[in-house]
Amino acid sequence: MTLLKSIVDWVDVRIGVREVAEQELTGYLLPRNINSWYSLGSILLFAFALQVASGILLLIYYVPDADKAFKSVSYIMNEVPFGWLIRMCHAVGSNMMVLALLLHMLSVLFMGSYKRPRELNWVTGFILLSMVQGISLTGYLLPWSQLSFWATTVATNSANAIPVIGPYLVEFLRGGKLVGAPTLGRFFALHVALIPAGIAAMIGAHLFLLKRTGVSAPPFGQENTSNQWQGDRYHYEHHPGGIPFFPVFALEDLRSIAIYMACFLAVVFFDPYLFFPKDAFIPANPFVTPAHIKPEWYFLANYQTLKIFPNELIGLSLQGAGMTFLAMLPFIDRGPERHPLKRPLFMACSIGGLLLWIGLSVWGHLS
Amino acid sequence: MGSDSRRTFLGLCLGGLGAIAAAAVGWPLFRYLAPRSSKESAGKIVIPEKEIATGDAKFFEYAGSSAVLVRKKDGSLIALSAVCTHLGCIVQWQKDKQDFLCPCHAGHYSPDGAVTGGPPPKSLARIPFSVAGGTITIG
Repeated sequence: MTLLKSIVDWVDVRIGVREVAEQELTGYLLPRNINSWYSLGSILLFAFALQVASGILLLIYYVPDADKAFKSVSYIMNEVPFGWLIRMCHAVGSNMMVLALLLHMLSVLFMGSYKRPRELNWVTGFILLSMVQGISLTGYLLPWSQLSFWATTVATNSANAIPVIGPYLVEFLRGGKLVGAPTLGRFFALHVALIPAGIAAMIGAHLFLLKRTGVSAPPFGQENTSNQWQGDRYHYEHHPGGIPFFPVFALEDLRSIAIYMACFLAVVFFDPYLFFPKDAFIPANPFVTPAHIKPEWYFLANYQTLKIFPNELIGLSLQGAGMTFLAMLPFIDRGPERHPLKRPLFMACSIGGLLLWIGLSVWGHLS
Repeated sequence: MGSDSRRTFLGLCLGGLGAIAAAAVGWPLFRYLAPRSSKESAGKIVIPEKEIATGDAKFFEYAGSSAVLVRKKDGSLIALSAVCTHLGCIVQWQKDKQDFLCPCHAGHYSPDGAVTGGPPPKSLARIPFSVAGGTITIG
């Protein structure tokens, strides 16, 4: 302990590390009525770090070549010691991360934490959601299975509905008329370099905004639950008499991460192929389209919407409108009230929207 | 139990759990990254006997490393590791001189793999092989 203290003293007199710890950890006070939903951000950071680590490990054996990709993934699964574990962690982790991201978004929605002055936190969060969807879509192609190949064919083909530039856009996305080796090259670059860098940068922006605005207090257990900020000048939301981030909420975060890990490892060890239909085990064949090819569960609602509307442009426009509405929500819903039970219209719309999304997803899964 | 000893006990339990968790992550990670042992990748190599003429050498990959098969002037065969024992460069067969030359530091070996000149400290390692029905099976 003396050695550790000496090292900390040595660093402290040079860069004032104790002052930083006091400011950012022990002296960083959070609202007393904070709840476990606030841990979802930490869970997501942890899940992203896990994806990066397992992704780097997979890069050691994965070959991004149309002739070798499937074989290299089979090699990882069957020959490399614990290769199955690394790949399953990556594949299951991506699905679990999307689930945690959706829950994080729902908690922010229902607690009204997106309201001013936190519009930018919401927008950066929404961009993160879109980028996570993008990284999942591009990663789906990499094993070069029948599922990868045809799911990507269908997904990229939907851009065809955009008037005038649609057909060119599809060709540009694919790097050719059809999904093929050039598509794998560009999706690989997007999946392992461009989008992860974008996500890391956006996480940085999201956390910076959180630090500048301060953590929002949950609207529960308070008499006045309306937004107090007047919008005239910068204001950091302090929580005097609150609980310190370290050690109190850091332990709460740790507990939430442990629960997330328990769920994650339960899937990895007891139902690893939960997210793998049988076409995921057949190498890509550009001449044989399998029946009932479907996207990942979180794209099923989009998939079903495109199926419902005979005109692809209408289906795509509706989805675009829905996404734009969600992205712009803090600028549309400007009421000061934050308690969900005091916002009946909001509650009706959001629960209705959620049920619609679940209904479309189930319909897409069963159809 | 005093609060200090309880704290120490809990610290030890936490440390133990942390060590178990670190081992549970570290061992698969080590096995995943560790190179495959040469025994695992040492399949048998089959070369048709007619592929190698008298005085010639044939290089091939064996057990994750480079190897060479030589048919000496007297018609006998020998299989050797092609990795120079000096600093690990791959030796070259000089058909006209009937010897191996390591181009890195001019080490020389006889067709049997014995050092005949230069800095190599020991002979090239021999690899077992058998000949049957017109084919040479290495390993």
